[in-house]
Amino acid sequence: MNQTLLNPDKWVDRYADALYSYTLPRVNDAALAEDLVQETFLSAWKAREGFKGEASEKSWLFTILKNKIIDHYRKKAKDIVQPLADKDPSDRFFDEAEHWTPDDKPGDWGIDYSAALDNKDFYRVLEACKNKLQQIQQSVFVMKYMEDLDAAEICKALGITASNYWVLIHRAKLQLRTCLEKNWINL
Amino acid sequence: MNFLNISCKKATYLVSKKEANKLSWLEKLQLRGHLAICSLCRKFEIQSKWFSEHAHHAHIDAILSPESKEKMQSVLKDQ
Repeated sequence: MNQTLLNPDKWVDRYADALYSYTLPRVNDAALAEDLVQETFLSAWKAREGFKGEASEKSWLFTILKNKIIDHYRKKAKDIVQPLADKDPSDRFFDEAEHWTPDDKPGDWGIDYSAALDNKDFYRVLEACKNKLQQIQQSVFVMKYMEDLDAAEICKALGITASNYWVLIHRAKLQLRTCLEKNWINL
Repeated sequence: MNFLNISCKKATYLVSKKEANKLSWLEKLQLRGHLAICSLCRKFEIQSKWFSEHAHHAHIDAILSPESKEKMQSVLKDQ
């Protein structure tokens, strides 16, 4: 074991809050987030002999945690995957000709899209909006946009087809956009 | 109405697919043609791309209770 590279005694003090803060918006469940952090420390402890110091201790722990989060979605997929509904809340955004309805057409956000975003309100609202999505849409959104997996990996993990995947992403984005506009832009 | 004309619903669907470079040549033409004349779908593209990119940095400053941390520490000690 590489004593000089790892300090397991200090892990909880140094990283528990950071790991937990990362996990919480990705699983929406405080107890589950805590469990995943605990499991991360345990797995890291068991794998400590294999730590070569190529990454920092912190990023190594984050890599383990990210795998735990994906595993969580993979297991959960078995319970939530269902045939795609023909009707979806996002259908109301379009009229019979499939053009935007006056109520739900994209408005002017009046923000600088190229500027850095340092805004706790945004993340709080994004979180609330994400929680309103169907479970399967949340899984897809988290895996794609928060964990950067590619479409093929996500389809495999969740056991869905590529065309289902695109429909889920499409619906999730339509709903998130509207929800952000109503609750964040128009605060 | 011809095969190049698509609806806003279809265009917004193709916008997501475009991010992953999964558009066929026909879909590329359809989307380009639609975005050229539809400012609402252009807005959708900019906004959805923007919040999707920022979602990556989602972070909530949360703190575990001292009890939780003690428990984690003792579980590790028991190993």
